[in-house]
Amino acid sequence: MTDRGADDLLGTIRTGLDAIPAGVAVWSGERRLAYCNRAFREALNPAPGAIHDGMAFLDFLRLVGRSNEWILPGGADEWVAAEEGDFGVDKSHEIGLADGRTVEVVQRAIAAGGMVTTVNDVTAVKRSEGALRRAKEAAEATDEAKSRFLRAANHDLRQPLATLKILIYGCMSEQDPEHRADMLHAMDIAASVMEDLLGALLQIGQLDAGRIQPRVTTFQLAQVFERLAIQFRHQAQEKGLTLRFVSSRSTVTTDRALLERILSNLLANAIRYTELGGIVVGCRRAGRALRIEVTDTGRGIASEHQERIFDEFYRIPDNARRQKTGLGLGLNIVRRLGDLLGHPVTLRSVPGRGSVFAVTVPVGNVWLSDMGEPEISETIGGEFVGIRVLLIEDDDVLRQTMKQLLERWGIEVLAAADEAAALREVGAGRPPPRLIIADYTLKQRTGVAIVAAIRRAAGIAIPAIVVTADTEPRVVAHVREAGLPILIKPVSPPRLRVLMHNLLFEPRLAAAPPANPPL
Amino acid sequence: MSEGASPIPIGSMVPLTGPSAADGAEFRKGIVLAVEEINARGGLLGRPLKPVFADTGSQSAEEVVAATRRLIETHGVHAVINGYNIGPQNSEYEPIADAGIIYIHHNTLLQHHDTVTSDPERYFGCFMGDPADYWYGQGFIKFISWLRDSGQWRPSSDRMAIVSGSKPYSIVIANAMASVASQFGWRVALGPRIVETPTTDWREVLGEVRAVDPAVVVNTHFYAGDLAHFQLQFMEKPIDAIVYLQYGAMHQSFIDIAQDKGVGVIVSTVIGLLRDEMGQRFARRYFARFGDGSTPQVGCQPYSAMHHYAIAASIAGGSGAPGDVAQNRKVAHALRNTIYRGVVGIIRYHADWQAAVPYPDLAHDPSLGMPHLFYQVRDVRRDLALIAPEPYNTETFASPPWIKPR
Repeated sequence: MTDRGADDLLGTIRTGLDAIPAGVAVWSGERRLAYCNRAFREALNPAPGAIHDGMAFLDFLRLVGRSNEWILPGGADEWVAAEEGDFGVDKSHEIGLADGRTVEVVQRAIAAGGMVTTVNDVTAVKRSEGALRRAKEAAEATDEAKSRFLRAANHDLRQPLATLKILIYGCMSEQDPEHRADMLHAMDIAASVMEDLLGALLQIGQLDAGRIQPRVTTFQLAQVFERLAIQFRHQAQEKGLTLRFVSSRSTVTTDRALLERILSNLLANAIRYTELGGIVVGCRRAGRALRIEVTDTGRGIASEHQERIFDEFYRIPDNARRQKTGLGLGLNIVRRLGDLLGHPVTLRSVPGRGSVFAVTVPVGNVWLSDMGEPEISETIGGEFVGIRVLLIEDDDVLRQTMKQLLERWGIEVLAAADEAAALREVGAGRPPPRLIIADYTLKQRTGVAIVAAIRRAAGIAIPAIVVTADTEPRVVAHVREAGLPILIKPVSPPRLRVLMHNLLFEPRLAAAPPANPPL
Repeated sequence: MSEGASPIPIGSMVPLTGPSAADGAEFRKGIVLAVEEINARGGLLGRPLKPVFADTGSQSAEEVVAATRRLIETHGVHAVINGYNIGPQNSEYEPIADAGIIYIHHNTLLQHHDTVTSDPERYFGCFMGDPADYWYGQGFIKFISWLRDSGQWRPSSDRMAIVSGSKPYSIVIANAMASVASQFGWRVALGPRIVETPTTDWREVLGEVRAVDPAVVVNTHFYAGDLAHFQLQFMEKPIDAIVYLQYGAMHQSFIDIAQDKGVGVIVSTVIGLLRDEMGQRFARRYFARFGDGSTPQVGCQPYSAMHHYAIAASIAGGSGAPGDVAQNRKVAHALRNTIYRGVVGIIRYHADWQAAVPYPDLAHDPSLGMPHLFYQVRDVRRDLALIAPEPYNTETFASPPWIKPR
């Protein structure tokens, strides 16, 4: 081959090497750069001409060290020294670039003490590896959750289940009704223990899966206290503990259901670990926030356990022996929900004296307080709300229809089919109804007679309305003579409403009603 | 407007005689002004509106129902739009529903919710242009809690005394206050104590009020004169409490009787004329049309409802005469789905109740609810001070003169 032919070939090879995506550099035995392609130069993003043929390997390393384009392990000087020492040694390693890519750098010794270095962009490979790893971790976490569930099921669900089985068999053969009732009661307790455990596991599962999305609103804390009081009153009573909620006027801004879950977990725990005394739920203003505290007179928690009790399945060894019902998840749920909502959860406790668990929530704007009533109707806010009305009607369908109408207005209806049932409603220390609505044509007696009987039984002249389908002048006259207002069936709701209103609230208007009210 | 286009009759039931005649006259003016403005811009799709007024006198059920029937049967009105009538208790909905026309009123009654939701098909055309009385109760409790929590007022205790008039409106408001008070840290120490009204003698019940030494005294009766006497008798031996008097204390006749003794009283309305640029321009037009002695604060109610109706009927492609149920259903649909910013703020009908949604009592966004406005009597020669809610307030709360500074 002629020199010219060799030059041409060399030129073709160089052009070809410049076109490949991998970077290639050839170093001579004197540790100088004999050749590098375009991809190699670009991997370093250097100033034009900074990497040139004949460049010393050490200068190249220093250039890389200073450039900050490659993320080097440790300091630049150490890296330069180590790489200088490794010249001609076969090796490969991955280096992250400042622009987020990852390259694999491979060096191989060649004849005459030289070395070739290749640089390959492996970013795409690394990314899919990362995705795979995350998927694997997620799968392992699910697996972990499953095994946690199984572990919990094994340890904690087995016991109430075993109890339940024994009780069921016992119950089957038990003849004594009293013993049987006791067993049924114990079965009920075992079932509710299992229910609690499954509930807690479900909550943890949802938290693990990131399925809980807070829905923040502004509301009165008193509403949450009210619900909790109803929920826990009996549990506390059964253990002989006092449970007191210090009434709160505060408006808070958070997720109503999740806050309730936090507090109910704290309360359940407080009741579980308190044997004497009681629990107080109250709050203190802390700057622009409100600290809701659950204070108990329980056994308290030693300082070495105070952080760990918020861990999953953690139970203080002593408590675990004494208490079989707790799963050690309640406080973990509290902590995790607190983290989710951004509400700090704290604990102060003195062993033997009791504990104060607290969650701190933001104070809300009272104007925005959501009363949580989906429908504003007369059932909750009408003029007749809570008023007791005695309804006497022997026709089942009409009685039911009238009862529904009155209840829609918020009235507490005492419905009776006859005189005896009506008298039962006014007997034995019950507060008398505020109004009587009686059908005229009842089976044995007239509505007028029954009204009189009820008034006698109650000892007061309860206002009354007589309803009739019979428009006979004789009937109308009879009712009027008794001084009672009369409504003709089918009763028009507005007419009934006006008459009821007048009798209850404006007796001056009712005193001189037209015989048949206008509407 | 095309020449000779036949006018559309619009009915309005207003108490032009009887105890509410002063308000009735303003309701009439509000309709007149709105119709003149609409007609000047081309009417309803080219047809002029023609108002027809029917006097409801003392606003009893029979008078109002008779007025409704007359408007429908004699005048064939396509809609009935008016201020309030106290007495009919929704009985006027029956002839409206039978005719299948549109009815917009400002009766401020919770019963409206129940009647409409009991049979939405039948009462599709019945709308209440303001929020129900119920919201006065909840809104007032939030208002006093806001005064307390924001440090504008330091109550002497957590006790409240609630006195109620004997009309359903007053009882509903009193019940609503009592039902939510405890959640906001208030204790109802007296009441709701229902007093048979009208009355000008409040000394007995005021004795009961003083006996519980409350920090808040409420009277939900709404006749201006009766309330003025309540305030005068309260001032015979005032206690360290905020005094809230229902709606009627906004009227000039309250100030005329109570004079300086009325200064410091709190009053509110779930529908009122705003004091922004829009409201002021409306007031100027109103005075220019009806004279300085007129009251745009009352006329604004049917005025806004009339404009809203005209827009909705235009969207629906026109109004419907009695019996044209299909067309009026389209109008009702447009009313429910078209939010209107009038001089009283936002009219946005609740999809089920067909009543204006209140702000901030229910809607927390001022662009979605009609403002529940709180005022304080400040100086008998000046307008009431509008002190809440934001962003509509123009002044701030001042401690009433009978409360000793702490």
